[in-house]
This record gives sequence, C-alpha cells and structure tokens, in this order.
Amino acid sequence: MFKLQKTLRPIQTARRIHNSAVEAVLRRPAPEETVTASFGKFISGVKSEHLSSVVLHRSKRMVLDSIGVGLIGSTTEVSEMVLQHCKHMYGPDHVSSVYGRRGVKLSPTLAAFVNGVATHSMDFDDTWHPATHPSGAVLPAVLALSDMMPASRKPSGLDFLLAFNVGIEIQGRLMRFSNEARNIPKRFHPPTVVGPMGSAAACARLLSLDPSQCSHALAIAASLAGAPMANAATQCKPLHIGNASRLGLEAALLASRGLEASHLVLDAVAGVAGFNAFYEDYVPQPLDSPHDGHAFLLEEQDMGFKRFPAHLGMHWVADAAASVHKLLVGVGPGKVSPDQVQDILLRVPLSKYINRPFPESEHEARHSFQFNACSALLDGEVTVQSFTPAAMSRPELHALLSRVQLEHPHDNPANFNLMYGEVQVTLVGGDILRGHCDTFYGHWRNPLTIESLRKKFRSNAEAVLPSEKVERLVEVVDKLDRLGDCKDLLSQLQ
Amino acid sequence: MLRKGITESFGAAIHALSASQLTDGVINRSKRMMLDTLGVGLLGTRTAVFNKALKYSQLLTSEHRSSIWGRSEISLPPYYAAFVNGIAVHSMDFDDTWHPATHPSGAVLPALLALVETLPSRPSGLDLLLAFNVGIEVQGRLMRFSREAYNIPERFHPPSVVGVMGSAAASAKLLGLSPSQCSHALAIAASSAGAPLANAATQTKPLHIGNAARRGLEAALLAQIGVEGNPAILDMDSGLGVYYNDYCPSAMPVCDSGDFRWILEDQDVAFKRIPAHLAMHWLVDAALEARAELQETAWTFDLSQIQRVTLRVPPSKYINCPLPTTEHQARHSFQFNACSALLDKKVTVASFDQARINRPALKELLSKVEVETPADNQPSFDKMYCEVQIETAQGQSCTARCNTFYGHWRKPLSQEDLMEKFSANASSVLCTEGVEGVIDVVENIEKVTEGSVLGSYLRMSSNTHEQMYLTRIL
Repeated sequence: MFKLQKTLRPIQTARRIHNSAVEAVLRRPAPEETVTASFGKFISGVKSEHLSSVVLHRSKRMVLDSIGVGLIGSTTEVSEMVLQHCKHMYGPDHVSSVYGRRGVKLSPTLAAFVNGVATHSMDFDDTWHPATHPSGAVLPAVLALSDMMPASRKPSGLDFLLAFNVGIEIQGRLMRFSNEARNIPKRFHPPTVVGPMGSAAACARLLSLDPSQCSHALAIAASLAGAPMANAATQCKPLHIGNASRLGLEAALLASRGLEASHLVLDAVAGVAGFNAFYEDYVPQPLDSPHDGHAFLLEEQDMGFKRFPAHLGMHWVADAAASVHKLLVGVGPGKVSPDQVQDILLRVPLSKYINRPFPESEHEARHSFQFNACSALLDGEVTVQSFTPAAMSRPELHALLSRVQLEHPHDNPANFNLMYGEVQVTLVGGDILRGHCDTFYGHWRNPLTIESLRKKFRSNAEAVLPSEKVERLVEVVDKLDRLGDCKDLLSQLQ
Repeated sequence: MLRKGITESFGAAIHALSASQLTDGVINRSKRMMLDTLGVGLLGTRTAVFNKALKYSQLLTSEHRSSIWGRSEISLPPYYAAFVNGIAVHSMDFDDTWHPATHPSGAVLPALLALVETLPSRPSGLDLLLAFNVGIEVQGRLMRFSREAYNIPERFHPPSVVGVMGSAAASAKLLGLSPSQCSHALAIAASSAGAPLANAATQTKPLHIGNAARRGLEAALLAQIGVEGNPAILDMDSGLGVYYNDYCPSAMPVCDSGDFRWILEDQDVAFKRIPAHLAMHWLVDAALEARAELQETAWTFDLSQIQRVTLRVPPSKYINCPLPTTEHQARHSFQFNACSALLDKKVTVASFDQARINRPALKELLSKVEVETPADNQPSFDKMYCEVQIETAQGQSCTARCNTFYGHWRKPLSQEDLMEKFSANASSVLCTEGVEGVIDVVENIEKVTEGSVLGSYLRMSSNTHEQMYLTRIL
C-alpha cells in the first residue's frame, strides 16, 4: 500500500512536464469531436446511476458465469504451467540488470521490457532493410536471459553472439515473406511484427530448446505480435521495442515449459490466418537447414546506424540540408538566418507519419521531414541536442518551418533502399541552392567507420556510465566471440 | 501445401544453428550492432518514457499481491494475476460469447479483480460493476466499427483485438483516470492488440484472453503514470483500423444525457453449456435431437448401424477438424462434438478428457462423418444453424436442425441453470463457503462496500484440491 501511495506523487510532476503536450492536444482542431476523445470522455464520465436494472441483471450473470468458468479452468494443465511460469519469473530475487542504473535489477522479462524501451526511446537504434529495428527487440532479451542463468553456466560470448544473430536472422527471413515489408510501413509497425519473433527465436536458441519447442516459441510469440503505425511518433512507440523484447523472451520461456501453439503459424493456411494476419501479400519460404551452407542475411545486407536520434528517413534530408547550410555559410563558421530564406522545398517520399509541418513533441519532431531539414539548415547538423525543448522552440526554427513545402516525386519511393532526399532553398535574392542526398553516411551503402561508431557509443554511454566502464564495454564487445563467459559483458551495463 | 512445414523448418533451424556458422563478416557486423544498441540504450535511460516504464515495472516488484482464483496459498502481482486468471477463464472455451463475436468477460473481469485488491481507494462492489460494464460496452462499440466483425473470424482472434481495449477501458475506469488518460490507455492498449487465429484450437488460445486482461490493465496503469500514445488511435485507419479490412468508427454518445443506452441492454450474451467453441452448441443440440428421433422411430437402434453422419454447418476452417488429437482441437471440431453427442447422449466437461478423445468407438464414428457447408448457412453467430443427418445401414435417415441452442442470446439460460453451471464449476476447487460466498457477493454486488471481498472468497479452495497441487509442485 505504502509503495503505491509513493508513486502517486510523481504523477503530479509528470502532469506538469506534459502540460505542453496537453496544450498541444487542445490546440488541435476540436479534440472533443474525435471518436477517440469521445471514448475517453465516456470512460471517465459514466456513473453508476447510468446502469439500468436489465444491465445490472445481465452483467451479474456474466460475472458469475465467468468466475465459475475460471475456477474450473484453474485445474487445467495450461493454467498450471502458466502459473508456475509467473511464480518463477516473479520471484523475490532481482535478477536482470537495467541499463545504466547501478544496483537496479528486475525480473528478466521486465528488465527486457525497460531496456528495450530505453533502446528505442529516442529512435536512435539501428534500422535494416526490409525496414525494422532489429537489435532492440533482441539484445535486451538475450541480456536479461543471460542474467537469469546460473553463474556457473552463463553462456560464452560466442553463444551469446549466436543467439543474438539467430534473433536478427529470423526477423530478416520473416520480412522477406512479403513485398509489403520492403516499403516504409503503413499498417503495422514492423518491430512489433517481426521483433517478438526475433526475440523468441534468440531466446529459444540460448535456452537450447528442441526444434518443436522452438517452433512453438515462434507461434506463441505470433499471438503477441502487431501494433498499429498510429502509435509511431508518440511516446508509446518505444514500448513497441520493449514489448517485442520481453514478449519474445516470455514466449520462449513458456515454450520451454511445454506450452504449445499452432504448428502452422508461419505457413499460409487458407481461411485461418497465422503470421500472415499481419501482411496483405505473403509467400513464406522454409529456412535452409544450417548444414546445407546457410548464409546469414546480415552477410548480404548490412545494417544502417543512425547518427542522430530520429527516424531513418530524416537522415537523407538532414544530409541534404547540411550541404545547403555549408553553401550558405561559406568557409567560416557563420550563421544561417531565416531572413535569407524565401522558401524551402523538400523532395521526399510519400509517407504520412513522417510528414509533420509543426511537430509539438520530441516524438513528433523525430518523425518530421520538415523539422529535421530546418534544424540541419540552421545548425549544419542534427544532434541529440536538436530535440531538446529549448532547441525545438527556437523562433528561427519556427520561421523556417513556416516556409517549407513538400513534394513527392514519382521517382522517390517510400523505401529505405531506394529513396533520396532533396532540399531546395530559394533565397530572398532569388538564388536557388540545392542539396541532394542519395545515401546518407551511416546507411548500409555507406556504413559508419569503426571510429564513428565508437564515437557515437562513447558519447551515448558516457551520459550514464563512468568512462572506465564505457571503455571496458567497447573492449568486451569487440572480443565478444572470444569471451569465455558473458558475465564480463553483463557486469558493465550499470 | 503438405511439403515440409515452414514453421517446422524455422524451429529446426533455430535449434540447429551453431556458432560454427557465424562468419567473420557476420560477427563483425553484429558486434557493431550490439555496441550501437547498448550505447543508444544507455543514453535512452535518461528519457521520460524510460523513467515511466521503469517506475511501472518497479511497481510490480512491490508488495502488491492479488488473488489467484482457487488458490489459498498463492498470490501474484496484479499483472500476473490478471494473466493467469484470464487464462483460466478461457482455458476450456467455456466462457461467454457475444454478438458481434468475442469473449467479452474474460478479458475484463480478471483485470478488475486483480486491480481492486490493490487499490488504496478500496472500490465498492458498485464501482467494480460499473467498470466491468464499461469494459464490456467499449468492446461492443469497437466491434461495430467493422462489418467484418459480425462474422466468425478468419484473421485476428477478436478477444485479442477488442478484449485488450475493453480491459484498458475497465481498468482506466476503476482507476478514475481523466478523459485524456482514458484515451491514452486505449492507445497504449491498441499497441498490444491482435493475435492470429491460427493459435485458436491450440493450447495458446487461452493466453489470448489472459494477455488481453493483463495488457489492458498495464495500458491503463501506464496511462496513469503519464505515458501517451496517439490521441486519435480509434479514428485512424493506421490505428485500430489496422486490424480490420473495413473500418468505419463512430463516436460514443455523451453520457450525461441520462438516457445512455448500453449495448448489453439490447444484445445479450450467450453462456455455454459445453466447454467448446460456440458453434458446437448448435451441432450438439441437433445431433441429440436426430439421435432421439432415430431411437424413437427405429425398431431397434444401435450406433453400429450408423452408416453416415452428415453435418451441415457454416463455413469456417478452424472449427472443421475431422480427427482431433488434443482437447483444444476437440473443442474446435464439428465432427468431434457431433460424434460425442451421438455416442454419449450428452457432451460435458468430461467429454474432452484425453481418454475420451482416444476412444476407438469415437474414432470409428468420426470416420463416417461428412461435412457440408450449404450456401444459406452464414458464418455468423447470429444467423447460423446446424443440421445433422444420420443414415443407417438399414436405410433409415433422420435429420434434425438447430437454429437457436439453449444458452444462445435468443434463448438465454434460466437463472437456475446458470447457477447450476456455476456451482458445478466452482465446487471443483472451492469449498462450500467459497462457492456460496461468491454467489452471494455477485448477487448483491451493487450493495457490497468493498469489492475486494470477492477475492477472499475466490481463494477459499477446498483442502483436497490444494493438497493435490502442492504435491505436484513438490
């Protein structure tokens, strides 16, 4: 009881911080007219006097029946299995480490959850082709699971790395079942579709489950997959990766206890959707047995790493705008002033959720062609700092934002392998400056050098860890495949 | 379609892939990914959203414990209590069904009961009942956004789509969240919706309800500490609309008007008499009638004379299972339920024991079954019918048809029969005091001052039952 009361107090501070978000909602065209707002209003405002006697009567019958059914159902095998799972996972011991929090440990699925949320919280994590954020869905789960294993039987660095790669590979294979997956998503957020599958696969691998259990882990995970794109560019989006990680881990743990699910979940069975529920076109392919010369997809298709914390699409326009900034400023440092600019035209692919003329939250800003182009135009680059409230509220930035138009050329498809970003600035004098980017630095076609990657890592990690631990992490990951015991990795995260 | 299963191949590969298959290229790239991910994660621990998720998760390590139905010795944090109790509710496909199709109560009640035991505000029975109805109402409203929802599902299992939304709404109500927070609870819940139908008829199906309950609860708790999603989640095709092929949302009416019309008022639920998929209920009634007729008209009748059994049912792949091998498949098999009815003259909880499923007599009868899907038999729980035709070697034929089974919303269970079902179920794990206590509390719930009292009765397991489980665990 006491603890719950303690947590009620922080809600007030949270409300203060989110005032701007609340105001933002109110500034939008009449939110009380939206369907969603009407639901919220109803849920909050309905009272007991609105319950008629018929409703009272019928709902009491439902409650009674439901309890009875639940009581007898508690004697089933599946109920018992799941109860054991929860008791075991919820033991009083704190097991798995939380990134960057000295001494804070949680039960493994919760650690996977919070670390996954952390990973995607700033849209700074890796992106692949076909599009998803593969590592955030897998690494937190594998770490949490490794923490869970007894000290004398921790996986070796190589086992760890293998499990990780299995998780990545499965995601890549699944995305290749659908042409829809090759383009910037519109319906389901890809990490929520393939992410839990990857996490389940990685954990099943680390747990050394048998083939049938591995299949069931995937099938159980499928019932935990799928979240709508509408929650991208909101605070909820990071939970997509957090959930992918923890739910995949959970699926593997449940499978290890014998829970079974559909054995045809990846196959396309007419009239009963399995994994294909999440796609419009779906042609599954079996995975080659490893003995027949299996090649990991990562071999042929590298990863994109972000240089700044925003949606991948932003990196093209930022690089294009940065080159225009350079032209405007010349050789010296200098400053770009909005007074110089008459209008800005962005030539970008058509994608609604990253087209935001006046983003109001950091989450929206990370998903706004306009915001990232103007920031890069002003500052010469987009960084972690570009999304702070101070940076976001700059009048110069707003002045530029009001001058932006978007164009969607036919030759610019919504596809991370094919798109480009172009920024055309018309100056007040009439001159036109143009910047064009086909492949930003960090894209899989132009990968970050090891120095750049380490620089990004150090800058990030030093925000919460002392530099000895930061350096140790760089070292440990570098030789992970030669590490006899992954505890050297596990112990440096907080 | 019967080449080596794809899913199987994945299972095999996940199992068999070894470190020796890791090439230098892959090792190098994946190490870069790991490094980057760790750095990004560490930096991300400074964000507001991370802090909320952490606070929330630490809450779960608190002393809060909610009851596990039928167990006096165990309690779990509310999230897991909702999970396991929800699974229990759907574990035998015995729970209520509505129109449009979903299992509304199992997604909501376990979450509410788990929550009510931990809230310092100590909600009353009436608060509980109100929140329950909010959870049911929201589900009903959401299903009416799509024509697709009116038919027996093919893609997503409906409890996994609307159930989690109902649980979020109900939990938000009980928590007393603001309108905006309630909307965000729905948005967060939407990101936890949608499980494919392929897992129906498997052991994982009960988890769909357990997950709906717990993830809806979690969504509300996250909304309470300030996590936000898309405030137009129900309005957008890329919001809840992703789960449907046709999607046409409409606003909930303002409820201060005093004449708010609950959907439950106009559309009752069906309660099951048999722990099996709803469609089986039509079939069993028809099979029993056909059998009785044959018994009456034939001079001497025994089952061995049956030559053919024809079932005329609506088209639905996942409940068409000629030779089920598990209890889960059996509960989703037209053929199995018809034959059980013919063999035993009734279908009960015991009909789905493994021994009964394996009976040679049953298997023999199953081999004589044919399934037809007449064009006029629509895959909708409001419109379907089932017909059973039995033909004997002697040339007799009896056909019976069921349009509305007893327990359907058009022909609801009497209060006595509902009570009898409850008592039989509850007595399998609770002592008499517990059984009667639950009946009493629910009957008078709007007058109960503390909703949590229900949990105390749900824990009153009979000694023998708990003993059995304790020994199993040891």
